[in-house]
Amino acid sequence: MALQGSEEMGEPVEEPEDLDDQDAASISPAEEITMPPGPGGEEGSEQAPLLPWDRFSAWLHCICVVGFDLELGQAVEVSGVPKTLWSDMKSYICYLSFPDSNSGCLGDTQFCFRFRQGSNRKSSQGCFLETADRDAPPCLKREQGHYYGYVYFRQVRDKSLKRGYFQKSLVLISKLPYVTFFHCLLKIMAPEYFEKQEPCLEAACNDMDRWPAPHPGRILTLPIMGVVIKVRIPTCYDKPGTSQLVQSAQGDSLVSIVLPTIHEVDLFRCFHPVFFHIQMLWELVLLGEALVVMAPSPAESSDTVLALVSCISPLRYCSDFRPYFTIHDSEFKEYTTRTQAPPSVILGVTNPFFAKTLQHWPHIIRIGDMKQTGERPAQMKVKKLKNLKTLDSKPGVYTAYKPYLSKDEEIIKQLQKGVQQKRPSAAQNAILRRYFLELTQSFIIPLERYVASLMPLQKSICPWKSPPQLRPFNQQDFMKTLEKAGPQLTSRLKGDWIGLYRCFLKSPNFDGWFRSRRKEMTQKLEALHLEALCEEDLQQRIQKHTEVEAVDLVLKLKDKLTQAEREQLPLQPGTLTKLRSHIEALIRTLPEDLQGILHKPPTP
Amino acid sequence: MALRELKVCLLGDTGVGKTSIVWRFVEDSFDPNINPTIGASFMTKTVQYQNELHKFLIWDTAGQERFRALAPMYYRGSAAAVIVYDITKEDSFQTLKNWVKELRQHGPPNIVVAIAGNKCDLSDAREVSEKDAKDYAESIHAIFVETSAKNAININEVFTEISKRIPVVDAAGGSSAKSIKLGRQVSESRKTCC
Repeated sequence: MALQGSEEMGEPVEEPEDLDDQDAASISPAEEITMPPGPGGEEGSEQAPLLPWDRFSAWLHCICVVGFDLELGQAVEVSGVPKTLWSDMKSYICYLSFPDSNSGCLGDTQFCFRFRQGSNRKSSQGCFLETADRDAPPCLKREQGHYYGYVYFRQVRDKSLKRGYFQKSLVLISKLPYVTFFHCLLKIMAPEYFEKQEPCLEAACNDMDRWPAPHPGRILTLPIMGVVIKVRIPTCYDKPGTSQLVQSAQGDSLVSIVLPTIHEVDLFRCFHPVFFHIQMLWELVLLGEALVVMAPSPAESSDTVLALVSCISPLRYCSDFRPYFTIHDSEFKEYTTRTQAPPSVILGVTNPFFAKTLQHWPHIIRIGDMKQTGERPAQMKVKKLKNLKTLDSKPGVYTAYKPYLSKDEEIIKQLQKGVQQKRPSAAQNAILRRYFLELTQSFIIPLERYVASLMPLQKSICPWKSPPQLRPFNQQDFMKTLEKAGPQLTSRLKGDWIGLYRCFLKSPNFDGWFRSRRKEMTQKLEALHLEALCEEDLQQRIQKHTEVEAVDLVLKLKDKLTQAEREQLPLQPGTLTKLRSHIEALIRTLPEDLQGILHKPPTP
Repeated sequence: MALRELKVCLLGDTGVGKTSIVWRFVEDSFDPNINPTIGASFMTKTVQYQNELHKFLIWDTAGQERFRALAPMYYRGSAAAVIVYDITKEDSFQTLKNWVKELRQHGPPNIVVAIAGNKCDLSDAREVSEKDAKDYAESIHAIFVETSAKNAININEVFTEISKRIPVVDAAGGSSAKSIKLGRQVSESRKTCC
């Protein structure tokens, strides 16, 4: 089944844009197969039974193989993927799945990229996934407008090939941001695939098509190619900074693998080259500043970008970020234009060409080779941007930015001490992660507290009026609360917190955070209102009213029911049952002809 | 009670009844029309053995030739392998011998091998004599049983015998595999049917 649809194979593919004046074009990925996501564009209706590939699709959009073949040239063979789902994606995937330049990538390399979903494509996720998504923490929700590509790239000498090298990438395309999990999965799949070819992918896809859906909070057992991976997707109710799954001592990685995290990257390793500046980087990410990471390989660029994005967790980074961005990306022009201010995005790049293209960007992080982690990061001082000219520029942070908060010397000392004492990287990572978590929480708690105060009082909820509205966010009012209940309560850091908030309130991260808070609170109000309504004696009330008003009430209640089901309102258990019996009871009080009409399901 | 996860793989020619054996063991059901397995399918079942719980992580591999090269993924790290042949097909017994060779060469050193002569309900069409198979099994110190997934004969016994031969975990955490393996060479094929 996995390899069906071969009628689509071998079709000629349009040549990607000619970019041969840049180094990046030195590799032109071509060929090969892709595993199917199932019947394209199906609408997940509530009670529909699971079709073949539904389970697979809950985890992955597709799997593809990108290779370089001198004889085939620029040709992508596609198998089983409906053309509409694929044709506009394949050229990006091809280029994003290969390192920009050959240097330094001998052997196996893992990295990830992210790209924008074409606007004409419908999301095909079923309802069962939306329910699953509701319980996920903000930073782990399914991506709405983007896909992730998780890459396992192998480049080894092979004299039997004309080019002298074997170069191939196995790529998983998914909307799920589970970077650690997918890298682990690829580490199992890719080496086997490179040796054993298609039957291997067929087996893997078949395994995945029997996986349980990615539900937060459950311990999932995921068999794949002879190994069982055990993971737990965190929920938004977890205490941040805790892991609920611990690797048992006697693990045999050929039998089962327990992943303590599905998405967290090693912050310390990623930030090691620039760790004197971590606090400034936190501010830049928090404020959604345009930031570019220039690294020697996609592995380093993507790790660093992901580390940046996750350092403000549990806040969700709401702007675009590209762990590995190339000149072939569809947003290349949009993001590098000099006619507008640099956009609020974080880009990870490896192509030296960007040193010139993005010269005008306000904040640039240069990362050297991370393999020399034993060395002390030498760059204590922030560098002037004008010093960044050539490729050979030294690692460091190039910016004119003045942080709002004064520098926390203690965390730097603590980490430095760890380096001297050869503290394990995992422990350093845990220290750094806790530091960022506390910093972000100190920052966000006053906002949470203020926004909670915008909620109307419970007693203002009247079942016979529409639910009360949230009061609007007022910047002045919020700033006033900071005097007494600001971050000074939980953080020892001094500095211009007010300035930081003022700037944050204008950022996409605030906008995204406030939108999701407002949605949650509005739903809570709807839920409270509905619960209040269900406690009323509706029949008694309706006796005093006309038939038309009774019908009107029935229709309104039906709307409420649909809304509650669709939006998964956070209701007390039993509320919906009560609502349904209210509706039934009301309908029974009406004349028979009306009963017939009202019992009909609503026309779509 | 201690819980141990034991990886077990099923190997053997296509159509000998590997999947049926697993279904009978795990679900206690039988379906004469199951599709050929793709790659491998995975099921688990936990049984009690003395004062331990044995959770069998069962990888039921595809018998089709095109998946032949994938087998190492499934026997790698396995505590036991059940190699299945069809008593009505001489060829499948030859294939079994090749699997034994491959396991000896590339499999885990202490893997427990169980040989299951399936479809023993079809003794009229028998091509492999029970004695030959039993002698062969003894010569390689393997567990031997004739089974019928259809009639539920000897299926649980295969796994019970495996549990018996799994090395006990000693206090130090290591396993005293070798001594046990040598001490229990004789495989019993009790309850022969037919």
